[in-house]
Amino acid sequence: MKKKVTYTLLILLILIAINSCERDDICIDAITPHLIIRFYNNDIQTNFKNANLLSLKILGVDNDSITLSATDSIAIPVKSTDDLTKYILTISNTDGSINRDTFSLTYQREDIFVGRSCGFKTIFTSTNYTLQTGSENWIRSISPVTQTIKDETAAHVKIFH
Amino acid sequence: MLKYFINTVFLLSCVITFAQKNSTQQDTIIKNKYGLRVGVDLFNPVNTFFDNERKGLELVGDYRISKKLYVAAELGYLENTTDEDFLNFTTSGTYLKAGIDYNAYENWLDMENAIYVGFRYGYSTFSQTLNSFTINNDAFLDGLATAEEGQKFDNLNAQWAEIVLGVKAEILNNLYLGFSFSGKKMITTKEPDGFKNLFVPGFNRVFLNNSGFGFNYTISYLIPLYKKEK
Repeated sequence: MKKKVTYTLLILLILIAINSCERDDICIDAITPHLIIRFYNNDIQTNFKNANLLSLKILGVDNDSITLSATDSIAIPVKSTDDLTKYILTISNTDGSINRDTFSLTYQREDIFVGRSCGFKTIFTSTNYTLQTGSENWIRSISPVTQTIKDETAAHVKIFH
Repeated sequence: MLKYFINTVFLLSCVITFAQKNSTQQDTIIKNKYGLRVGVDLFNPVNTFFDNERKGLELVGDYRISKKLYVAAELGYLENTTDEDFLNFTTSGTYLKAGIDYNAYENWLDMENAIYVGFRYGYSTFSQTLNSFTINNDAFLDGLATAEEGQKFDNLNAQWAEIVLGVKAEILNNLYLGFSFSGKKMITTKEPDGFKNLFVPGFNRVFLNNSGFGFNYTISYLIPLYKKEK
């Protein structure tokens, strides 16, 4: 009887030990969200339209620019160290010429704890988009869908071109 | 011939009976030592020697209440720094564990060794200091990432349950050396606002499913109070 109790407790302890081996040192949770942009046709504003994207540059980042391809939606990083991120989106026109448009995103930041392995993420609130207008903008207008960037489930902004 | 054989068997049986009776009378009465056993955990001081991330002291004690049962408690202080990929924090606080140990080992004669299983209730009050953290963002922005200074979270507490499995051996008269493993399960914690109790003194690392492990290496001294037959 006493032996049975001992063995039961021993087995229980081993079970707890095995159960505890769940990994939590690999980050699998959502971290700082990207800005999701969808490209729309400026003429028929309900239709998506592929942008013939070449690259994206984020001002103040030393890395080379991110190479992009023709698509109707992109997810791009937002600075969590500053209240402003300035983007230069380059497209290739139909005649082969290159067109660069600059727009900036301003926001307020909020740091949120995710977990042991992921650390903290930032969510962005009160977002505001400003298109730098030049002589030949390929972007006709920017229309925000939401004021907060807290996840990556839907587009945050529409770009008409 | 057969008669002699039967007689011999009978005689032998008498001798056997006699011998048994005699041995019972000669048996010394084995008395167990009862008293308060106090000691200190050696795991933390040894650990501190090798890495400076963990500093602590734990006092252990138990009081024998019956042949097999001991009331046991541990009181400790622990300061531990955890370094993760995106954060570094220091936990410091005190803890108390109390419970029962059951000695499952049948000792020979008057030996006082133990292979025991135990149960503990643990309570800790502590603080977490977030030394630094880095926001986890797209790898493209890694060049910008800077460690930010965190804050201190005071007045936190935790309660948990433990199952202990250990061994104690009397190496010198009244001096015991022992080691034990423990499996822990958190009951409740007061979590900091905007952070999480990833480490709790006495509980150690809090795993994702709120469980934990412990290892103790103790040296203790028995203050004998009285002796009892059972």
